[in-house]
Amino acid sequence: MGLPVSQILLATGFMLMLVGVWGMLTHRNILRIIIGFSLVDTGMHIVLVATGYVTGGTAPIIDEALNAGEAASRAVDPIPSALVVTAIVIGFSVTAIMLSFAIRIHKTRKTLSIDALTESRW
Amino acid sequence: MVESLFQPLNIFLLGLGSGFLIPLLSRIAKPLPAMGFIIALLGMTVISGVCLWRIHHGAATIEVLTAGSVPPFSINLRFGAWEGFFSLWVNVVAVLGAWHLWERLRGRYVLLLLYLILTMGINGMIMTRDLFNQFVFLEIVSIATYGLLGSDRSPAALAASFKYIMATVLASSFFLLGAGLLYHVTGTLNIDEMIANRALIAGPIGITALLFVLSCILLELKPFPANGWGLDVYETASSGIAAIVSVLVSAGVFFALLKLLPLFEEVLGILVISGGVTFLFSNLVGLRQTNVQRMLGYSSIAQMGLLVLAVGLLWQLGAEQALPLVVGGLFINHLFAKAGLFWLAGIVGRREANSWSDVAGSPFLLSVLAVFLVAIAGLPPFPGFWAKWELIMQAAGGGRYVWIAVILVGSLLEAAYMFRWFKQATRPLADQAAIRVASGKYVPLIACALLLFASGYVAAHLAGAMSLLLVAPLFVGVTLYILDWLPSRSKCALMLVSVFVVGGWIVRETQGLPGLFAVLLVAGGLVIASAGLYRSDARRGFYPMLAVLLLSIASSLRATTSLEFFFHWEIITLSSYFLIAQRPGAHPYVLQFLLFSLVSAFCLVAGFGIAASANGTTALAALATSGPDAAAAFALLAFGFLIKAGAVGVHIWLPGAYAEADDDLSAMLSAVISKVAVFGLFMVTYLAIRSEAGLEMAHVMGWIGLLTTIAGAVMAFQQNDMKRMLGYSSMSQTGYIITAIALMSHLGWVTAFYLVANHLLVKGILFLAVASVILRTGTRMLDQTGGLVGKMPVTCIAVMIALISMSGLPPLAGFGGKWLLLSAMVDNEWYGLAIVGIFATFIGFLYMFRLAYTFLARSRKPADDGIREAPLPLLLPQLVLVVAILVLSFFPKLVMDPVSAAIDPYFASTLVWEGMSLETIYGYWNPVPVMVVSVAAAGVLLGLFLVIYRVRRGRSTPRDAEQFYRFYRAVFTPIVTPVANRFWDGVCDMTMAMGGAVRRIYNGNGQTYALHVLYYVIAVYVFGRYALSGQ
Repeated sequence: MGLPVSQILLATGFMLMLVGVWGMLTHRNILRIIIGFSLVDTGMHIVLVATGYVTGGTAPIIDEALNAGEAASRAVDPIPSALVVTAIVIGFSVTAIMLSFAIRIHKTRKTLSIDALTESRW
Repeated sequence: MVESLFQPLNIFLLGLGSGFLIPLLSRIAKPLPAMGFIIALLGMTVISGVCLWRIHHGAATIEVLTAGSVPPFSINLRFGAWEGFFSLWVNVVAVLGAWHLWERLRGRYVLLLLYLILTMGINGMIMTRDLFNQFVFLEIVSIATYGLLGSDRSPAALAASFKYIMATVLASSFFLLGAGLLYHVTGTLNIDEMIANRALIAGPIGITALLFVLSCILLELKPFPANGWGLDVYETASSGIAAIVSVLVSAGVFFALLKLLPLFEEVLGILVISGGVTFLFSNLVGLRQTNVQRMLGYSSIAQMGLLVLAVGLLWQLGAEQALPLVVGGLFINHLFAKAGLFWLAGIVGRREANSWSDVAGSPFLLSVLAVFLVAIAGLPPFPGFWAKWELIMQAAGGGRYVWIAVILVGSLLEAAYMFRWFKQATRPLADQAAIRVASGKYVPLIACALLLFASGYVAAHLAGAMSLLLVAPLFVGVTLYILDWLPSRSKCALMLVSVFVVGGWIVRETQGLPGLFAVLLVAGGLVIASAGLYRSDARRGFYPMLAVLLLSIASSLRATTSLEFFFHWEIITLSSYFLIAQRPGAHPYVLQFLLFSLVSAFCLVAGFGIAASANGTTALAALATSGPDAAAAFALLAFGFLIKAGAVGVHIWLPGAYAEADDDLSAMLSAVISKVAVFGLFMVTYLAIRSEAGLEMAHVMGWIGLLTTIAGAVMAFQQNDMKRMLGYSSMSQTGYIITAIALMSHLGWVTAFYLVANHLLVKGILFLAVASVILRTGTRMLDQTGGLVGKMPVTCIAVMIALISMSGLPPLAGFGGKWLLLSAMVDNEWYGLAIVGIFATFIGFLYMFRLAYTFLARSRKPADDGIREAPLPLLLPQLVLVVAILVLSFFPKLVMDPVSAAIDPYFASTLVWEGMSLETIYGYWNPVPVMVVSVAAAGVLLGLFLVIYRVRRGRSTPRDAEQFYRFYRAVFTPIVTPVANRFWDGVCDMTMAMGGAVRRIYNGNGQTYALHVLYYVIAVYVFGRYALSGQ
């Protein structure tokens, strides 16, 4: 039967997170850093959705195909998905704010390099 | 109807509702958004206030259910006493913060909206009982913060904000992941259920998830070293927004930690270590700061570290009952004081601390600054004081001495840079620019200051220490401060009357040794304080502060617990600090004075903590009966009191403070205030009696005393400045008293008290006489004055009597004391000490003779022809003191008998002198042989000195005493190399260098900071796994 889909999702999610962190830490360009953050976010969403997966489970919609008694064992857990929807909205607004900061920083400095942002230190 | 209006849920309705309404209102009419904002923010505050009021009066905790369902199927909110407390004060500070930021907020509805959402989000972080909802509110708060940060358009602020965002989004990612995984292992997001099913959080996934959540919360509180991003924002954001980040956002995050604490029970060590390290290192690096807001940032981070440390430590020790006082106290203290400081920084508008001298011209701003600084430093009467005391008592009870040291060292460092800032603010410069502020701007500052006082009152209640005695000095001080517009002499008279009446009331029931000290110090204090009548200038704030000082001295003698004593001790320290700082000339010395006083205070608090855990009570009476466990407490307490007594090595604060204070204040410092430390020594020396180690330590203390005497005498001999000479002389005389106490015998103690009385009288006269000379001749240099006997005969006679009494020559009071001391030392077989004592007495003669010589014999300067006798207000106190010396000299039994009676009952039977009456003591201790030997030795020494002088100078005899002194001052110069000064300078430089080295980690690069965040998470993970595997 091969790998369950949740394992593939988990591996992908964690891989995306690592790629994102790597991107945030190695790229100097603020836009690339923001992209790195988006990758972390997306990876995390995939991981969370994967944790709710029940092997062989069906969609958590109670109808004639799935009665309430079986829901706990046969349906995929809907809560992580619900959480991820919220998290996507939050991630979206955080990304938007970061981008707006990027625009303002570029306006005042004419550069997007994070190395230029070191005037306050120590 | 009304009932449903005041529901906690309405806080969210107001926040979210206005979030949608405000943009609409802005389309309708310009002032509407601002009105909507005000209504919503005040509404939130009123709701939290009313709910808390109900709960305080016995109503049940309010559980808010949502979505027509019960948890865990829906999100629920809780509003209990803790939630209400945090929510109300967060909202109140949010209102005040909006007032401060009003100029900026008013015009832009987006900012109004963000501000409301932020406040609502913090309320949500406090109230929610759902872990994912906790994340949502955290993000709401973060996004609103980012938005507010974006209102600062300067490049530096934008850069700092971006770093802040990078670090916090990384941190909150871990929260999200952790919360999701916790749901995975526990099957619930409800915090209460999660706590109930704590056992399910096990295995690699559960533990990792838990540690991720913990790391995120700690990271949001900006732990060292992963906090560069926070510091940059504190430095560059506008003051109002920095204040929000510092106190409000942190409050929400901290409450989340408090709420989730039961989940972290096994990894509390992380909290303690992270909090302690943060507190210590942030304050260390803070020392190097010159930028005010960044310095406040370091302090904010440190205070959050302290809170985390406190909560972890108390939970570990199972002392949850102390949480309200410690956590509530530290939180509220930081909330009001730090918000006030940030706002003050914004109002003053000077970014660099060294340009704050412009504030020196504004008494109001200085007073407010002083209130906030005293609060942040954890000094009374503010809540931080009570909280820190309780925290240290609990830590001492649990044997966590390392953390006590961390708390005290960190507090000292924090006080150092905070009060250095105050020093810069009080430095009057010629080219001051006046600070113009609209008076409305003061409202948040005044509100914070008043709230600090009020919360200090409540904290004192919680600490169980509130009494009329405690507040009486402060109350009198405030009353006099209100009357500070009166003419100077009326103020002085009013102060004397109130100290007489209230002081008399305070000490009316004191008995035994404290009773004797009370009579001596209150009466002596009043006599010396009456000299203030000679000045007619305004002396703003001087007399209220002096009243606080004298009444606190009286109250400290009445104290029955170490907490009460320590409270008054700190008030004495603070009021002397502010009094000394009144004279511009004292400016370079006050910080040193304060820091040494604080070191002393911190030794005391540690010592009292250990004593309390050894005795099981904080009652002072228990010190007399405590067992050998208390030896460490004795060492700390004795060291603390020795610092304030000016013992050699830690004396360097003394000469500057004594010499540069106002002339009449110098008399008070030397004669009266230093005696409180002596009283403290009396009090704690009981601790040493019970153990062999303690008696050894007492012997060491005896040596310290006599070394102090010699060092003081030699340095006094070197001085040309009369006030400095008297300062060193005080140090020297206090040395005798220390030795006498260290004798630990009945005779030693009677002698000590006799010396105390004698020194009080003598130094009172001498400092007041010098005040007269300075008043009349305008100089305090010995070589610029002389031959005053014809011009100021009364002063000169008083000085002669004082000098004779101090030197220990017959027939005056010092005679009895000093020879008894030497005899007692010989009988204790402390021969080394006795020999040193004789030598010290001889050096003492030399400098005292020099002073007498100046007054009497030295030829007068022509410029001095016009001088007159000192004014009556200066002469009268001296005459009263002279009469007292004569009484003490010729009727010693008047003092000796009560002293003897007061000391007897305390002494254990192990002591030789128990119960022996004074006559037998005199009969047994025949002082004559010792005296003869000493005088002979002194004569030989003098002869030796003359011979050396003669040989070296190649002259037959010293024609002139001045040349004799000049010669010996040159000879002694190598002995008085300022070793102690160099040592303490070295300590200071080393600390600064360490701070400089540590802060290199804050290189300003956002990616480095993000990396720090990751490292921190990894460190928490590794430590957490280690801690959990050990169980």
